[in-house]
Amino acid sequence: MTDKIVSLSHVDMTFNVGRSNATVALKDINLDIAPGEFISLIGPSGCGKSTLLRLAGDLLQPTGGAIVVNGKSARQARLDQDYGMVFQAPVLLEWRSILKNIMLPMELRGLSRREQEARAHELLQLVELDGFARHYPWQLSGGMQQRAAIARALAIQPKLLLMDEPFGALDEMTRERMNSELQKIWQQTGTTVIFVTHSIAEAVFLSTRIVVMSARPGEILHITNVDLPTPRTLDTHEHPHFFELETEVREWLRRAKGYTVA
Amino acid sequence: MKAIQRNLPALFLFVAVLLLWEGAVALFAIQRFLLPSPSVIAVAFMDNIDRLIHIGWFTTKEALGGFAIGCSAGILVALATSRWTVASETLMPFAIAANSVPIIAFAPILNNWFGVDNPFSKMMIVAVIVFFPMMINTVRGLTAIDPTMLELMRSYGASERAILRKVRLPNALPYMFSAFKVAATLSMIGAVVSEYFGGNRSALGVFITQEAAQFRFQNAWSAIIVACMIGLTFYLVVLLIERLTIPWHSSVRNT
Repeated sequence: MTDKIVSLSHVDMTFNVGRSNATVALKDINLDIAPGEFISLIGPSGCGKSTLLRLAGDLLQPTGGAIVVNGKSARQARLDQDYGMVFQAPVLLEWRSILKNIMLPMELRGLSRREQEARAHELLQLVELDGFARHYPWQLSGGMQQRAAIARALAIQPKLLLMDEPFGALDEMTRERMNSELQKIWQQTGTTVIFVTHSIAEAVFLSTRIVVMSARPGEILHITNVDLPTPRTLDTHEHPHFFELETEVREWLRRAKGYTVA
Repeated sequence: MKAIQRNLPALFLFVAVLLLWEGAVALFAIQRFLLPSPSVIAVAFMDNIDRLIHIGWFTTKEALGGFAIGCSAGILVALATSRWTVASETLMPFAIAANSVPIIAFAPILNNWFGVDNPFSKMMIVAVIVFFPMMINTVRGLTAIDPTMLELMRSYGASERAILRKVRLPNALPYMFSAFKVAATLSMIGAVVSEYFGGNRSALGVFITQEAAQFRFQNAWSAIIVACMIGLTFYLVVLLIERLTIPWHSSVRNT
């Protein structure tokens, strides 16, 4: 594959190297991701999927192997602000209004104030938060805060959107709606996404490919190609092929040692 | 109107205590040098009003000067220690230990160093008293950051400087205001008490000790009331600035 935005080759990650509590988190990870793909990482708790996400985002450095993002090192990609990140918690700055929170990455990039505000208003519309620009984070519900966090991640049109269980803290109904919205946003922006999740349904609904990982030390067990038609809607959940894909992923997860149904 | 209604019980209690005090002094014929009645104190207050304003202002300047020196130093040291973890690990245990030392005990020493008549000696005592709570609180505010927030900033390639400006400093503000409120009260206490160990004739603490020594307790009481009013005003001014500066913080926004 020549056209790739992320390339992980023989990536190893060991924490506390050389100490008695050394832990091998990831072993020999090989994964190429094409531009515009939506990749979900799924696996048992503690299998290192969040670690893998942080390696791709240069928040951690691997103990072995190479990570190339957008044709350069992960570190360079980070310094060039190629990343947008969304975590399980929205981590909004409580002293900033929603608008100002979304402007944060643009400030760091040094865009003009007018550009920042115009773009932030566009993003508020995209995540359906128009009318909440002047609100403060604590005045919004959890789902709305998470939408603001997604808008912030998209603010600098990242080449790569890294999402670490972004909807893990939301209730089922909100989660389904957020999945539909994320799917819409992904198609509109054409950005590449790496998405960590515990939910099989969520992974099948959103992804182009699902990476199933084994229990620690995390290895790639299987990659499921999700060939469901797009755009996916609420009806997609009833599609017979949706069940087949869910079953495929579930069976691979059962093989991953230590998997417990949450 | 609402504010008056809410504070009505407190106001009522205040008046009731004054009346009880007045009545008790009359009823039990308490001698004036033990406890003068509120009316006697009020008369003494009005008789000495010009002098009280003069000495009150003198001591206020000491308190304000010490507050400014101590708080600035506390913030600067906190910024330095939070920047270099080695400095923080070395200094913080001492700062926390020093915070529980009765610093006012050093007042005679500092009076000796900087001159007993020199208001600067009192400012230095106040500065040392307010330094430690200021520094400890600021360090906490600068370092108590959600680790995920720091990951987010790093994912944008933000420099340490940008993280300081956009995350650490705003996060520290509520902690700093807690310290400012403590420091405001401490600075007035520190200034008056340090004057008890000797000082300029036109200082509040010197006036209180001299009048008390000559059994003019009603005058001492009227000066104590001035000290209370100044301390309270100082605290309320800091409170007002806090509300204007950090309206977003949970301690401020719901009240």
